[in-house]
Amino acid sequence: MKIKDLSLEELFTSGHTACPGCGGAIVARIAMKVFGKNTCAYFPANCLLVFGGTYPYNAFKVPYLHVLFENSAVCAAGISRALKKLGRDAKTVAFAGDGGTADIGMQSLSGAAERNEDIIYICYDNEAYMNTGIQRSGSTPFGAWTTTTPVGKKIAGKEVFKKDVPRIMMAHDVPYVATASIGYPNDFLNKLEKARDMKGFRYLHVFAPCPTGWRYDPAKTVEIGKLAVECGMWTLYECENGVFRITKKPKLSPVTDYIKLQGRFRHMTEEQVDTLQGWVTEKWEKISGETKG
Amino acid sequence: MYEVRFHGRGGQGARMAAEALADAAFLEGNYAMAFPFFGAERRGAPVVAFTRVDKQKIRIRTQIYEPDYVVVLDDKLVDLINITEGLKKGGMAIINSAKKPEDIDLGKKVSTATIDATGISLDVLGVPITNSAILGAFAKATGLLDIDSIKKGIVDMFSMRMDKKLAEKNARAAAIAYDKTIVGTCKAQRTFEKRKMWLPTYKEMPLGLATPPMKTEAGLVGPGSFIENKTGSWRTFKPILDHEKCIMCLFCWFYCPEGCIERVGNTTLKINYDYCKGCGICANECPKNAIEMVRE
Ligand SMILES: Cc1ncc(C[n+]2csc(CCOP(=O)(O)OP(=O)(O)O)c2C)c(N)n1
Ligand code: SF4
Repeated sequence: MKIKDLSLEELFTSGHTACPGCGGAIVARIAMKVFGKNTCAYFPANCLLVFGGTYPYNAFKVPYLHVLFENSAVCAAGISRALKKLGRDAKTVAFAGDGGTADIGMQSLSGAAERNEDIIYICYDNEAYMNTGIQRSGSTPFGAWTTTTPVGKKIAGKEVFKKDVPRIMMAHDVPYVATASIGYPNDFLNKLEKARDMKGFRYLHVFAPCPTGWRYDPAKTVEIGKLAVECGMWTLYECENGVFRITKKPKLSPVTDYIKLQGRFRHMTEEQVDTLQGWVTEKWEKISGETKG
Repeated sequence: MYEVRFHGRGGQGARMAAEALADAAFLEGNYAMAFPFFGAERRGAPVVAFTRVDKQKIRIRTQIYEPDYVVVLDDKLVDLINITEGLKKGGMAIINSAKKPEDIDLGKKVSTATIDATGISLDVLGVPITNSAILGAFAKATGLLDIDSIKKGIVDMFSMRMDKKLAEKNARAAAIAYDKTIVGTCKAQRTFEKRKMWLPTYKEMPLGLATPPMKTEAGLVGPGSFIENKTGSWRTFKPILDHEKCIMCLFCWFYCPEGCIERVGNTTLKINYDYCKGCGICANECPKNAIEMVRE
């Protein structure tokens, strides 16, 4: 699918209350265009739940349900089964943030994946708990400032590395796992389309920059989504029925190109940048080794 | 005692202004408190914050419903909400606006001060963040505090969250605003309707407690109802599309988080300013530089 083939209908309507330049809003809008009307949407507590709908108002033009922070995957699975019993042909999609996915939602997500429930699970990754005011999550990268990884004299930013959630999902041997970024439209659209048309558990992890939490000019959201892939901080790949492949080879430009645009990394020392660069290089070597064979 | 209500937008620093004002009043020997209204509002959405000052210990802990002063950080809010709601008799409105007080319509004749805080902050800070400049205007218009206390309050409060140099620049913005504030009376030509809420009892709720798309006296509710929430007023910069340069690559249409770039047939694009929040992604991504961001 190409941009020009996308539906004109906005199933995630204007008038939502996301911050200007929100990457998560782009994910929701485009995903809904690809999935279409025949979709039920599920949201645990996160930014998208709040900016996409504050009762009784809502931006999604499809049946939606607000569920608990920790159980979006399993709630979606329940509805997917109910729809099947009723003989309805509709897709069930859960939209969760990285906190709701990497941390608190992990057990229900893992359970639903293990049972190969027939749902699509989208994690829009803004690398922190943004809705409650920028606390670190398992998905926050090394070195990043958040309110719970503050910058002080002894410790500056997050001390450990980003949890690799898509790889955890791959270990569940589900039909489809893919990573995407809003900065790569065609790649993103292909993956949404594949996820839509397959059956069983489908997991999509989408990189969704957040100007408010990452401290950058809102106009740069897409640019940052591109730079993250170019420098290898975020890798685009998919694993379709066990076949693992890279969908966009990174240029592996220095990570400084990416981090210098963002206030959350501004304090980083040379040593910290080297550590981060080392992590990127090692991660890439591992992935490229695995996808060769 | 005097009580102040600040109206701003998420990210404009209404809360920090309220805190800096409380600090300034405290420095002059008063008791003071400042607090925001807690809600789910994001950057750009209308928010409120409060400051309460007294010579004696303050025992009340409620929100402020009948302020002596209202301070408006963003003049577009004046058209959206009734900012004088609850304002005490003899109260005053202090508004960030390039207009004169008599050209502002608040729906009620009240004493009004105006200051082009956006212009000043763009000059001094390089960004349209008006929470420091407006405090200079507050000091001038009300005469309640010395501008030096305001400057000190700004440095105290702002340097907790930013570089001290930047905090000092903010204090300078307040001093400039102090000198440029105009005091007068606003006009009262329009009326504000009270915002209606849809609050059904459980018996009136649709079956299964779901909310299907419905028209109620408070407007649309249910799926897709956010369409009635016009977010265009959030903007400071506005994208202007040069149709001559546009090659219809559709990147802007794809990337727009608001979905406010409309495709008219296969040949033209149209920006719907009712919803555009002015993020600037379209201008940043256009390969032909066909979109330019201009100040509203
Ligand atoms: C059990 C539980 N704990 C805490 C919360 C408060 N809470 C609401 S949203 C949120 C953060 C969500 O973060 P994330 O999933 O990363 O999504 P984001 O807001 O960043 O898009 C938290 C902690 C909650 N709703 N439920
Ligand atoms: S805080 Fe970040 S993720 Fe949340 S609405 Fe704002 S830009 Fe989007």
